[in-house]
Amino acid sequence: MNSERWQKVKGVFDAAVELAPIERKEFLDELCGTDDELRSDVESLLAANEDADSFMESPVIGEVADVMPQRGNLEAGTMFGHYEIIRLIGEGGMGEVYLAKDNKLDRQVAVKVLNAEYSRHESNLQRFLQEAKAASGLNHPNILVIHEIGESETSKYIVSEFIEGETLREVIEGSPLNLSEALDISIQTANALVAAHAAKIVHRDIKPENIIIRPDGFVKILDFGLAKLVERKAFGSDASVSDQNRTAKGIILGTVNYMSPEQAKGEKIDERTDIFSFGAVVYEMIAGKAPFKGDSMSQSFANLINAEPLPLSRFSESVPEELQRIVTKALRKNKDERYQTMKDLLEDLKKLRENLKFDERLEKSHSSKGKTAFLQTTTGDVRDVTAETLDFTGQIKQRKPITVAVIAVLLIGAIGVGYYFWSVRKQFSTSNVKRSLAVLPFVNAGQDANADYLSDGITESIINNLSQLSQLRVMSRNSAFRFKNDQTDTRSIAAQLGVETLVTGDIKQIGDKFVINVRLIDASDDSQIWGSQYVKTSADIIAVQNEIAQAVVQNLRVRLTTSEQQKLGKSYTANVEAYQLYLRGRFHVFKLTPPEVSKGISYFQQAIEIDPNYALAYTGISDAYRSMAVAGEMTPAEYIPKSKAAALKAIEIDEALSEGHTSLGMTLFWGEWDWTGAENQYKRALELNPNEVNAHIFYAHLLSNLGRHAEALNEARIARELDPLFPFVGALEGQFLLHAGQTDAAIARFQKTFELAPNFWMPHLFASSAYVEKGMYPEAIAEARKAKELSPAQTVAAATEGYALARSGNRIEAQAVLDGLMALSTERFVPPIHIALILAGLDERDKALDWLEKGFEQHDPKMAFLKVDPKWNNLRNEERFAALIRRMNLN
Amino acid sequence: MGLSQRKSRQITETLRAWSDGKQEALETLFPLVYDELHRQAARFLRRERIGHTLQTTALINEAYLKLIDQQNVNWQNRAHFFGIAAQAMRRILVDYAKSRHREKRGGANENLPLEAVSLAVSGARGIDLEALDEALTRLALLDNRQARIVELRYFSGLSIEETAEVLHISTATVKSDWRSAKAWLYREITK
Repeated sequence: MNSERWQKVKGVFDAAVELAPIERKEFLDELCGTDDELRSDVESLLAANEDADSFMESPVIGEVADVMPQRGNLEAGTMFGHYEIIRLIGEGGMGEVYLAKDNKLDRQVAVKVLNAEYSRHESNLQRFLQEAKAASGLNHPNILVIHEIGESETSKYIVSEFIEGETLREVIEGSPLNLSEALDISIQTANALVAAHAAKIVHRDIKPENIIIRPDGFVKILDFGLAKLVERKAFGSDASVSDQNRTAKGIILGTVNYMSPEQAKGEKIDERTDIFSFGAVVYEMIAGKAPFKGDSMSQSFANLINAEPLPLSRFSESVPEELQRIVTKALRKNKDERYQTMKDLLEDLKKLRENLKFDERLEKSHSSKGKTAFLQTTTGDVRDVTAETLDFTGQIKQRKPITVAVIAVLLIGAIGVGYYFWSVRKQFSTSNVKRSLAVLPFVNAGQDANADYLSDGITESIINNLSQLSQLRVMSRNSAFRFKNDQTDTRSIAAQLGVETLVTGDIKQIGDKFVINVRLIDASDDSQIWGSQYVKTSADIIAVQNEIAQAVVQNLRVRLTTSEQQKLGKSYTANVEAYQLYLRGRFHVFKLTPPEVSKGISYFQQAIEIDPNYALAYTGISDAYRSMAVAGEMTPAEYIPKSKAAALKAIEIDEALSEGHTSLGMTLFWGEWDWTGAENQYKRALELNPNEVNAHIFYAHLLSNLGRHAEALNEARIARELDPLFPFVGALEGQFLLHAGQTDAAIARFQKTFELAPNFWMPHLFASSAYVEKGMYPEAIAEARKAKELSPAQTVAAATEGYALARSGNRIEAQAVLDGLMALSTERFVPPIHIALILAGLDERDKALDWLEKGFEQHDPKMAFLKVDPKWNNLRNEERFAALIRRMNLN
Repeated sequence: MGLSQRKSRQITETLRAWSDGKQEALETLFPLVYDELHRQAARFLRRERIGHTLQTTALINEAYLKLIDQQNVNWQNRAHFFGIAAQAMRRILVDYAKSRHREKRGGANENLPLEAVSLAVSGARGIDLEALDEALTRLALLDNRQARIVELRYFSGLSIEETAEVLHISTATVKSDWRSAKAWLYREITK
């Protein structure tokens, strides 16, 4: 079989496998025909597929491990010194652990036997002995007691006390811990660590699995298996060489979810790594999940390095401020910012417990009605509270900022971010320099391809929010969206867009939650300025966009005016469902084909039914109708009034919505030829939002059509700078240059636009006219045909081709094109101006004017070009043409 | 840890060069990743596992952490790393199976309760890992992407979503490619 053949087989298989078995025969009959080989190939694959349901379904390593030989080597009754093995109770890093009976002292003990295979390696042996020595040197009630270190003929072993109880892991997964239980376990654990640290022993692997809770509540810390003696000097900068080597031999120590960042990065560690791990354990007791735990191991690592955990208050309605502070301080990524000693941490925990007890006593003595929320936590179930009902704002405001990072966290927290990642990799100084930024399309990381509307929509909303700020130059949607699903590295994207910074992100739906990751990247060196993860329910989807925009602004250190602050926080609807419908509408309208636009309109209408004050959805309707009128090759009369009404409604609802003014401006311009009215609307839009590309480019359009070329070119340039990769802007700018008489510059601009989007019809169409002006007819005809090829449905391309042919002297072919359009016009709407154009090229002036007048009567939007388009130059001396110009107020 | 920062940075650079399309960088990278994974895997197979599900991804992550300079790496690099690691894992596990197989044939250590590491048991049927490896090599000639998917899913333990991310393809593609690859491989090794 070759690969081509396989692709065929695979294709048939993929289709057949989706069918019910009973339907397959007929399907294969049809598809395979007489190709019996194909058929039997597919059938045998289908059969294999039936049999192979569990085949390779779990990763091979798990299975390899499951059948590994060394489990439970010792059978019950085996004597091990004077210890009689009862049963295997666990397996640790070094070997197996058995429950055994100490026949001398008649007590139960745990015997940890070093793996025979494992003990072949000297370094492992040393590690083993080190553990034993370290742990037995600690005489502390909360640390597992080591009875003996022995050696049998075959193995080395450690005998320790046998603890009956549950690991903290089991406890957490079983019944929830309340605050006082959690505090109690924390304090006992901290006590053990204080003792270990005093003996210069770092545990290195504090995790719920290594903490055992006896039925009487007593806590024992196990498995100092990874502990090693830390020289006092290692606290400074000069760890001893032997330390380094020992670490090098080993392995990543500890469990990912509880590792300190320095441990995960493989850096030198000291007591403070235990402080971090301890903080993570305390966090989990309250939150029910480890602070940095992600969906995947790789996510957990990333979180550990970059993220701040969700505040505990998200999990427990009224976790004491002080506990949050303690945990936060223990979980500082920079070990110099953490608690420096376990002792200090223990002191704070004890104080907290005292205060809580005091409050509880106070509460009892007052026997007041209703407990305060604070006191509830001392007795209530801390995990039984839904995070969504919490008001985080109230609590966090009271906290005193400790460092710059905390201040930022507070600011973010104060606007209600549920979940934030923070990384102070780089900070811009506050300045008044205008910064440039592009928000790249968020990746739809979920499984549902239909959720693209959401990832696109969030991107767009963030762009909209940010572009309202005068101090930012924000790439428009169109340029940014050229990089949708693009894997180009960020630096080259930034270079193409000409921006200093990029925002990237992804969104994934997990259950009823949306997980949104956002990163702000300094394009100069690809470094992350800020990164954050937001976990939200769909109800928060609107708010989160404002939060992200706020956070970006904060991290760019942009100074905002009060009104800009308000704009940034602006949300267009409070109704999530309406918002999602709006996003769906946008998604379809941007596909720009009439059926999609219609679909988009119906989504907008549904959005408005839910939120009648949804101004932005009205602008969506206005734009959609207008696009059908301008490009949709249908009569304007039907669409323009609807477009206008929708734009007016949008402004009525929200005068400060720049999009509403732009929409109205465009409708007045195209639909009513109300030049003054349109200009006022564009100006207002730009006052409200200086970064709105549409307002700039359509204002330029108006100015160009009125013959105010210098102003037009200036506006077009601004639009292009905001949207360098949007070929539409480039094409229009070229056209304005052409209309300004700068034909060579126009051609140069078209050529640049071809590079940007070789398959975009518009610049080819305009270039044809430019070549006609230069007398370069073959090029003109070729460009028009190219446009026609790229957009066959548009009669404008055919008209331009006919015009170029006519001007080149090829009247016969020009006439043929004209005849074709005339024939077409009996079947569907053909804008009269297109007929007029070929007639003008043929210099059949009267007929051309007949059709132009017809166009005027039908209010064809394209008539707006009449004054400045050189294609009409041979008609300009005609009185009827001058009258048209007057009637259109273009004089 | 084991590697100096300089070396880790060097590996990171190599990874970046590879993801930028310099194929020769893979030659440098592969042995390093293989060695590190081999160490991790050997340890992993012995480590505590009662009540825990083994995750190959965890293992690869640990190798990744050791090898890669975290400060200078992005998610793109991580995806590429998983691509290499999947191939390395495949080689490690197959080599492991082969050596066990040889040991068995040589009559050594018949007492090992389950010498059949070479026969990683899947469901009720034993799978000969060597045969699977050979079949997978043939599959790569028919459809390289499908072979990569099998490596990532089966040898590296990645989920459908993670596999899609690494290969920059849709989850739907991963699903259908995975299904037909499984059927094909199953047919090949049970022939």
